[in-house]
Amino acid sequence: MSESSSPIRLDLSSLRGAPQDVLHLLPCEVEHNGSAPVDRYFTPAIRQGSQEKSVSFRGRSLKGQEVMVPQGYVGLVLKEDQRPCTEEEERTVRLKSTFGTLTIWNLERAPSADDGLLLALSWPGIAEAIHAPVSRKEQ
Amino acid sequence: MELGEFERDNAESCRLGSPVPELCRAGPCCLGIDEAGRGPVLGPMVYGVCYCPLAKQEELGALKMADSKTLTEAEREQLFGTLDGARDFVGWALHILSPNLISTSMQQRAKYNLNALSHDTAIGLIQHVLDAGVQVAEVFVDTVGPAEKYQEKLKRRFPELEVTVRPKADSLFPIVSAASICAKVARDRAVKNWTFPEDLGDVRMEYGSGYPNDPKTKEWLVQCLDPVFGYPQFVRFSWSTAQTILESKAVPVRCMRAGFWLLRKTNKSRVRPVPSRDPRSWGFKEENEAPSDTAQYPGVSVSFCPCLDPRNCRLMGITDTHTSGGIFCFGLTEAALKNK
Repeated sequence: MSESSSPIRLDLSSLRGAPQDVLHLLPCEVEHNGSAPVDRYFTPAIRQGSQEKSVSFRGRSLKGQEVMVPQGYVGLVLKEDQRPCTEEEERTVRLKSTFGTLTIWNLERAPSADDGLLLALSWPGIAEAIHAPVSRKEQ
Repeated sequence: MELGEFERDNAESCRLGSPVPELCRAGPCCLGIDEAGRGPVLGPMVYGVCYCPLAKQEELGALKMADSKTLTEAEREQLFGTLDGARDFVGWALHILSPNLISTSMQQRAKYNLNALSHDTAIGLIQHVLDAGVQVAEVFVDTVGPAEKYQEKLKRRFPELEVTVRPKADSLFPIVSAASICAKVARDRAVKNWTFPEDLGDVRMEYGSGYPNDPKTKEWLVQCLDPVFGYPQFVRFSWSTAQTILESKAVPVRCMRAGFWLLRKTNKSRVRPVPSRDPRSWGFKEENEAPSDTAQYPGVSVSFCPCLDPRNCRLMGITDTHTSGGIFCFGLTEAALKNK
């Protein structure tokens, strides 16, 4: 958390029994916060190629890859019902749903191992490895 | 004319054609090229070639081919039947460019304009016919863009062929008329039988001819607009007609960098964001702030959950039913949280 912002409370009581969601990460920001007919316009148009998934959004070509959330982790979709008026107030986010995989979409080229998101997702495994206790033998 | 192969995946492009008549492998042939559906805001653009032996040009003339634009749909279908009946000396091939391919090509980062796309398609078709063993000697083309430049381009690419590029070639040369009929028949059938991969629900399917000045087409474009997704892939997003409606009626879409930032500590302990390779080019200014929430590791720090602070949220996602500037993150499992 940056020093200026207030604590954020995550209400975890809703974790058990939260629905699984299908998640797509778009390479753009859609200025819309609300329902959208994803299952009518987007999902049915996705095509699975031999290497990658492809679809188009607003007439632009997107290439995608489905990735798993790192082992031991779970993806959370959070929702903030009411945003406080001031920065000092405590904020509460509620769990909306969870996800175990997500599809990352890039403009025109498929996500590669160099993509920030994929690098970040590989970090927990690396962190665990480098912080694991080293046995005498290996030393 | 069997369009099944295109209809199975109408998001891409598809090449199809008649069997090659033996006579066309035996002696020098002429080949005509024309396109259909260049102007419409809906549906595919179809490139057609038709070829026959030079020795059979009189017989071709007797088939009374004419510029497809001067004919009714029924007359075109009938003339296509005539061509099909002359299959022992006339062959044809088509390249169908889906509206999705047109939209994504014209709007891709390395601009690929419609003329270049047309020229490449025509060149691909000539090569396809040559590869099939047709002894092409003369090529007649209805021009796209300035005729001289196009002719030069084709001559450079096929120095062994005699190439004639003309405006209105479809009314001057019977072999080009025949090509225009094949292309137009395919375009009409593809539009009429369009299967939407999308589930459009209650939207009426009276979209007219697809030309921007057709009132039915205009009305349909307004009616089937979705504020988030815009249009189904049947619409050419790169057409100004569609763009004008999208700009005024759909929600804005802005570019952004990849959702996650990998941070690297430089000397003097300053944390410097390493942005993803290429800023997305969606025609908008990109944003450029570092996320606030970072978990620090020696030498490297990784931003894991920038989204817990939505003011600095870099993530934009859509779930099954919603788009949201929403917040999602990778958290620990419940068991892990209990251990903390």
